[in-house]
Amino acid sequence: MEEKNEPQNISEDITNLVIARLETIPSNVEISVGGDGSFTISELIERVKKQDDVGKKMIEMQLAYLRALGKLPTQELQDAPVTN
Amino acid sequence: MLLLLTRPRYDLPTHYLFYWAGLLIVEAKKRGIKVIDLNKEKAKKDILHSYLSKQPIDIVILNGHGSPEAVTGQDEVILSVESGADLLKDKIMFVRACDAGTILGKKIMEMGAKGFIGYIQPFMFLMDKDYFNKPLEDELARPILECSNQVGLSLIKGGSATEAQKDSLTKYAEAIDKYSFSETTSSFLLPVLLWNMTNQVCYQR
Repeated sequence: MEEKNEPQNISEDITNLVIARLETIPSNVEISVGGDGSFTISELIERVKKQDDVGKKMIEMQLAYLRALGKLPTQELQDAPVTN
Repeated sequence: MLLLLTRPRYDLPTHYLFYWAGLLIVEAKKRGIKVIDLNKEKAKKDILHSYLSKQPIDIVILNGHGSPEAVTGQDEVILSVESGADLLKDKIMFVRACDAGTILGKKIMEMGAKGFIGYIQPFMFLMDKDYFNKPLEDELARPILECSNQVGLSLIKGGSATEAQKDSLTKYAEAIDKYSFSETTSSFLLPVLLWNMTNQVCYQR
């Protein structure tokens, strides 16, 4: 079984951060989360608050992105000159 | 070359995958590749297993819902660790479904498949409510489904599993590049693109 980096003890700061990020997504957007179905942004925010499986996946996804910021595989970053 | 796809359609995610996988059929037929399209009610276990055991299929692309050990078709499990993994011997397989890369993909490789591409976490994508009836015109779904479709396109062009994976990851990187630096307000796509990119795995013999 692959090791999964699912957050275990999720602090209120983290959930508030994820909720704040979700709140920036327009209300016309839904997210398909595989077999769990598709969710509106307000439904996802509720899931994050409840910290059920779907909510934890949202938290995991947003944290993975935030951790990757600065090392995203972008061509422009790779080509950017190094300056002081 | 002979290509088999499953395209169940019974909820919103499978509705989208049904149409986006349809583009692979169009491309395959353009190239003169024979296609077995198990769509909707034809995406059943007995039908799939019958084709896999009787036809010289080269590429298998399953769209649906998944778990670590199984993939569904039209509302039923059509392939699992216990049933059907041995039928993929010498074939290349792409499973566009959640989690199947963790256990099922490895089992399929153990049973002699030539290659496997799938996901080790839920496969996620965004949708615009205003385009539920026109999935191919949904600009929020497009970046993610184009990147995953690239796997199928590369296989149809004769690529190996490793080459298809590389082509798909390149497309993901280009999409991340685009949404990182453009003026667009769609930067909320980035976490989902990165998620699918980093959770798409490839095994090759």
